[in-house]
Amino acid sequence: MNNGNSIRLTDSNFHDEVLKSDIPVLVDFWASWCTPCKMSEPILEEISHDYSGKVKVSRINVDQNPDTSMKYSIMGLPTYIVFHLGNEVERRVGAQSKKQLYQMVNHLL
Amino acid sequence: MPLHNANLTCWNCPAVDLAGKVDFRACGQSTNSKDIGSGCSNSDSYIMAECKRRPELGLFDPMSITFKECPQYKETPYGYLLKDMRVLILGLDGYLGWSLALHLGALGCQISGIDNYNRRDWVMERGAHSILPIARMTERLQAAEEALGITINFRKMDLLDRQNLKEFLDEIKPEAIVHYAECPSAPYSMIDVDHAVTVQQNNVIGTLGLLFLLRDICPQTTLLKLGTMGEYGTPLTGRPLFEGMFPADAVLQWRGREWSMGGELTPRDPSSFYHVSKVQDTFNIYEACKYWWLRSYDIMQGVIFGIHTAQTQTDPRLNTRFDIDEWFGTVVNRFVAQAVAGIPLTLYGSGEQKRGFIALEDSLQCMTRLICAPPELGEYAVVNQMSGYYTLRDLAETVARIAQKEFKLPVKIQRVENPRVEADRHPFEPIFERLQNDFSFTPSITLDNAIFQMLDILLSPEMKSRIVQKQHLIIPKTWWSGVKKKVESIEILEPSKMSNKNIPSNE
Repeated sequence: MNNGNSIRLTDSNFHDEVLKSDIPVLVDFWASWCTPCKMSEPILEEISHDYSGKVKVSRINVDQNPDTSMKYSIMGLPTYIVFHLGNEVERRVGAQSKKQLYQMVNHLL
Repeated sequence: MPLHNANLTCWNCPAVDLAGKVDFRACGQSTNSKDIGSGCSNSDSYIMAECKRRPELGLFDPMSITFKECPQYKETPYGYLLKDMRVLILGLDGYLGWSLALHLGALGCQISGIDNYNRRDWVMERGAHSILPIARMTERLQAAEEALGITINFRKMDLLDRQNLKEFLDEIKPEAIVHYAECPSAPYSMIDVDHAVTVQQNNVIGTLGLLFLLRDICPQTTLLKLGTMGEYGTPLTGRPLFEGMFPADAVLQWRGREWSMGGELTPRDPSSFYHVSKVQDTFNIYEACKYWWLRSYDIMQGVIFGIHTAQTQTDPRLNTRFDIDEWFGTVVNRFVAQAVAGIPLTLYGSGEQKRGFIALEDSLQCMTRLICAPPELGEYAVVNQMSGYYTLRDLAETVARIAQKEFKLPVKIQRVENPRVEADRHPFEPIFERLQNDFSFTPSITLDNAIFQMLDILLSPEMKSRIVQKQHLIIPKTWWSGVKKKVESIEILEPSKMSNKNIPSNE
């Protein structure tokens, strides 16, 4: 996991990488037992590549980073949240199609 | 070029126990906190790793050490492999089990295994025999020691004997379990109610019991479970046969709305009670991974062919079995036997059924690559394990071509009534990318070479005689309808009518 361009988030770097980011951040809250999460990896890598420098794509394992998951009340997986200038601007729960994920990102550009 | 599993971490390693905050739950379920750790303060809020092989490390972040960095791993042609990895093979006496035991043993794995000799009994019950004579287990074990220096810790045991299996698991603490201990035959499951019940009891209940034992004794081990490409069926829409789950860009459209199907199990359409047992296993394993964070590869293998491996050919006592009867002989192996016996190669119905295939040695290569790269914790993963796909008619023509050209054998092909209930003209688009893309699998055996090798070995007088003795068991008698009769011939295809083309290149 996270062998591509997307950023691996943790409880300790979430604040700097996401909340203090100058550009929008798409965060994928995932778990290794969640098959829809696993299957979305290639699409997230595509987005990361297509929006390089414009949108940050990142992933956070909810089991390994319980504080952030609790803070944002993550229950369903995957959960995708777009943050901009420290604020949550859009959230979708459950597997999203390629079109839907691109829509989330395009809203901000 | 780094090895395919170089960047995996202790999160994937079966030698690591979890400590700390582990919270089993489903999607959409609120979080709980359950401390299974040793009480260390670090484990109060985070999942920690505790290495059974390197206890001096104490508790640590499971993502902090890669396979490439860990001194417990060694480089092999198949990826980084745990040194002296403890591998348990269920069904060690079978065609695949015995071959894989020797293959992994030669790589330095510590091999244990169980078998109750059901396969030997089932083949004998049908009046058939393995064409390559296979030694008794005691002789096999001795030969493995003498010829290859491989020690195998074997117990005669039934998978359904959960008490003894529990004790064995407790003793060896396997780091990978290869589950081959299922009845692999569709026609055997369709003989009558007793056979159907035997197959489903052995396969489904055996696997279900195993999952509970994994939960209780060795939840970190990798379970490599043999499924079959036949679980998917052959949908007439031509929909691709994905690797177990829909990819994220697959969508369901309905009444102007759309949803991602990503990660949902694809539909299964089994075509015998044997295939149903494999589908049931799929769901049981999928659930167990979710409930208990077991890790598993469910391996949808194509039809296998081949006679020897680098290890089995070193000593006749190390032969793996080679069946040709209608119940346990796979189709390429049956065709080759028919060519040797001088009887027509039999196609069921149109002969246009398309199937995925893989050579025995390539199957072992895939299994080893998967063992090297365990899934993540709780991950249920599926691979379609095949190296190409063909119509059965193309296969028969390939066997006929090689037998005629290289061995001067007069070969005919015969179409007979199809005793099965199956589509015999259908689209077929299997997706089999994951092993090649994620595990660096490259097929090493061509179909032509494997057929040549099989013919070469089986044309020896002893082998030919053993085929001729049992050739009457190749023509199918088991009808899915339950009718009791032999199939009738529909058409004999003379060699002159057979195409001279090479097999289509989809390998």
